[in-house]
Amino acid sequence: MTDRTRGLKDLLWALALAGLVATVLRLWFGLGPTTNLSDAAPWGLWKILNMVAGVAISTSGFTMGFLVYVLRLERFRPLMKPAILVAFLGYGCSCGALLLDIGLPWRFWHPFFMWNPHSFLFEVFWCVTLYFTVTAIELAPSVFEKLKAERVTKALHKVAFWVVIVGISLSSLHHSSLGSLFLVTPQRLYPLWYTPLLPLLFILSAMGGGLMFLVLVRILHAHWYDREAVFGPTPLERELFLLGSVRGDGGSRRRQVGRDMPVLTDVARIATGILAAWLLLQIYHLAHPAVWSTFVAGTWETWLYAAELLITAVVPIALVWRPQFRRSPGALAVAACSASAGLLLNRMDVGIFGYFRSSGVVYFPSLVEWALSLGVIAAAALVFLYFVENMGVFAVSPAEGDGPRPFRVSFDSLSRVWHTALRSGLERTTLIAVLVVPLAGALMYPPYARRRTVDVRAASRLDVAGDSLRIDGDRTGLRTVFSHAGCQKRLGGDSSCVSCHHMSLPGDTTTPCSSCHRHMYTETSIFDHDYHIKAVADSLSLPGPFPSNGSCVYCHAEGEAKTEGNAKACVECHSEWRDEYANGTRDLARAPGYLEAMHGTCLECHQKEAAERNQPLLQQCSTCHRSLTPRGSPEAQLARRR
Amino acid sequence: MTIDRWIEFAKGPLFAVTFMVMVLGLGRQVLLQFYFLGVKKGRRLRNVHWKQVARETSSWVVPVRHMEPGTGLFSVASYLMHVGVLLVPLFLVDHIALWNAFLGLHLPAIGEGTADALTLLTISCAILLLVMRLLRSRHRLVSRPADYLLLMAVLLPFLSGYLASHPSVNPCPWNVMMLTHLLSAELLFVLMPFTKLAHVVLFFFDRISVVHWQLRPGAGDRVAEALYRKEVGAR
Repeated sequence: MTDRTRGLKDLLWALALAGLVATVLRLWFGLGPTTNLSDAAPWGLWKILNMVAGVAISTSGFTMGFLVYVLRLERFRPLMKPAILVAFLGYGCSCGALLLDIGLPWRFWHPFFMWNPHSFLFEVFWCVTLYFTVTAIELAPSVFEKLKAERVTKALHKVAFWVVIVGISLSSLHHSSLGSLFLVTPQRLYPLWYTPLLPLLFILSAMGGGLMFLVLVRILHAHWYDREAVFGPTPLERELFLLGSVRGDGGSRRRQVGRDMPVLTDVARIATGILAAWLLLQIYHLAHPAVWSTFVAGTWETWLYAAELLITAVVPIALVWRPQFRRSPGALAVAACSASAGLLLNRMDVGIFGYFRSSGVVYFPSLVEWALSLGVIAAAALVFLYFVENMGVFAVSPAEGDGPRPFRVSFDSLSRVWHTALRSGLERTTLIAVLVVPLAGALMYPPYARRRTVDVRAASRLDVAGDSLRIDGDRTGLRTVFSHAGCQKRLGGDSSCVSCHHMSLPGDTTTPCSSCHRHMYTETSIFDHDYHIKAVADSLSLPGPFPSNGSCVYCHAEGEAKTEGNAKACVECHSEWRDEYANGTRDLARAPGYLEAMHGTCLECHQKEAAERNQPLLQQCSTCHRSLTPRGSPEAQLARRR
Repeated sequence: MTIDRWIEFAKGPLFAVTFMVMVLGLGRQVLLQFYFLGVKKGRRLRNVHWKQVARETSSWVVPVRHMEPGTGLFSVASYLMHVGVLLVPLFLVDHIALWNAFLGLHLPAIGEGTADALTLLTISCAILLLVMRLLRSRHRLVSRPADYLLLMAVLLPFLSGYLASHPSVNPCPWNVMMLTHLLSAELLFVLMPFTKLAHVVLFFFDRISVVHWQLRPGAGDRVAEALYRKEVGAR
């Protein structure tokens, strides 16, 4: 086991475990409490980052298949296995995230049997599941080789060509369909991205960006496992070789860069060629006067679009164009990184940034969404590392003998509990789990994460001329115009205040409703324990340096757990509220939700009057909530009369 | 109001997190023990008969047989301390309300008088152990800073809990003491899986592990010798 990947693996495990917690929470609580998705923002991070972008970035499986199996470019064959693995994991990520993204995950199999051939998503579903199966079949030989099942491996190798062909056709189908998907809602997609060319643009950028991502993966692999294959010997090693102090293969030592570098350069050239075609199409799209005028408008979307063109195509093409850059592993890594990031940005632009903002929807992923999204990706990366280490995905240059480890005397300075100072992967991973799982659970647990109490604000704008009060506690626009003076007059003038207003803070006279009814829907605890223990001690003049310490026994029974449940009822001391709050013992300690409080105040009376005066409209929602009232309806006329 | 809010936080999310760290962390220790004993040292484990394990465990539960002359008080104090440490956190009425709220557990309660007596016993035994560790040179020699600190960390929740439930002897406001009690207990939860307090679960594994550290008479001297070869040699 190499030490170089240890930190990376720890991080990936932490993310994957947080993702696991998020998965459990999402399945337990459902999409509503755990995500920030809504009817207006029906898709978010999972569908766009994991599905649309994840599928796009792992296209190298089919492009490399085309290069190796159809065009017979045998020099690219060493990159075939990694490309298939990337495709398998990319599609696995998207399937996994999508499975959790649909409302009822256990019904994922419905499209197999209940067909809707008019839907783009129906085609996408079939292609993605079939292509995922294809990548699994393509990947299977590596696994069976490891398991030493030779007959299966042989049979799989025989059908490999046809499997690859099926894979290529499926891929070209669904990548363009994903583009068409965004064209069915022209009213929402920002015009910079809305073009009938979108299907073609999607498949081109996916092919180019996917190949660049494969280059990036190879360079990163070399960075962690097999440095010399790509980066070549370090300057120091070259010097040492020239001095004759290091034994080894002379040919490879003398080279400036590693032996795999020329292949990577070629892949990058093909990829940038495809990206150049994409860029040309984008310029053609921009040349349309309407699109150009949108582009020069200088909006937020303009900058996104410009950044996307720049990092997806311009930077990689410029870097690969210059021979000295395309032959340097570092510069090639920058180009590959830029193209991959650009591809992700492009899909995020089309799916989220250019889709929601311009149509007036605010969407920011919740913590569960982030954790699940990144967790799925981290899990895929861990699987990738496992395959790399155990299945021989990359042709690794023979390891230089590390020799036996030097014997080091160690003394158990920490306690025995730490075992062998976390040397094995099992110990590290379980330790990460012990720390990450509770923390992630508490941070994302919906009842903790969503406890926003101060949502509600007081009624606003007393219109003196009409004497109407506008009530819209959570500011959602469902406003009630409440005629305060009218109701007051009807209920009996100045003496009628108490029929609606019940209590205020001690010493205050105009406490707004929202200072106690703090949440729109759920009740708020308004019991001030600290204040009560002081008040009891003061009123009874208890002795001692901290008199309030002696006050417990005046509310809590002895010999029982001192909980809210078995404390003395509020009205035993607050006898002035005895008549009103006789129903439950602790009604005074909790303020019901704002909605319930408001409705409770008005509705009872309205319902009674509706029955007595035979005016059923009086108890309809739209009588007060005029925003719900259709124009010209009898409710609206009634509302206008009042 | 702020301290009350902190108490709510310590009773709610913080309790959940620390308790889960403790459960998962101790579970991890058990898992690793099974892994190392069962997978890595499989053959040795199978040689140990369960009767032997039971006999060893029971003989160590009442450590009279293993006592060395002069350590009687230490052993008895340590033994009595563990009785309170095991019973009070689980079966006190106020704690049962917490178990009920979090896990839906209905445990039988011990009386308040019994709980008080056990708590006082635990506190006095812990103080006695601390003092003996400090004063006796042979105990001081084999002690690391963690040994003192962990003993104090165990002592703290018992002390603060006793004071919080007895306002007449409480030297500071109730809610401050309650918060101290909660936070110190949660500190203990977090420390448990990662320090030698993990003997909560590892105790049983010491009986089946053949390579466990035998606390034979005279073992302390030998450890001291290994640790402070020069000092002991010079004496």
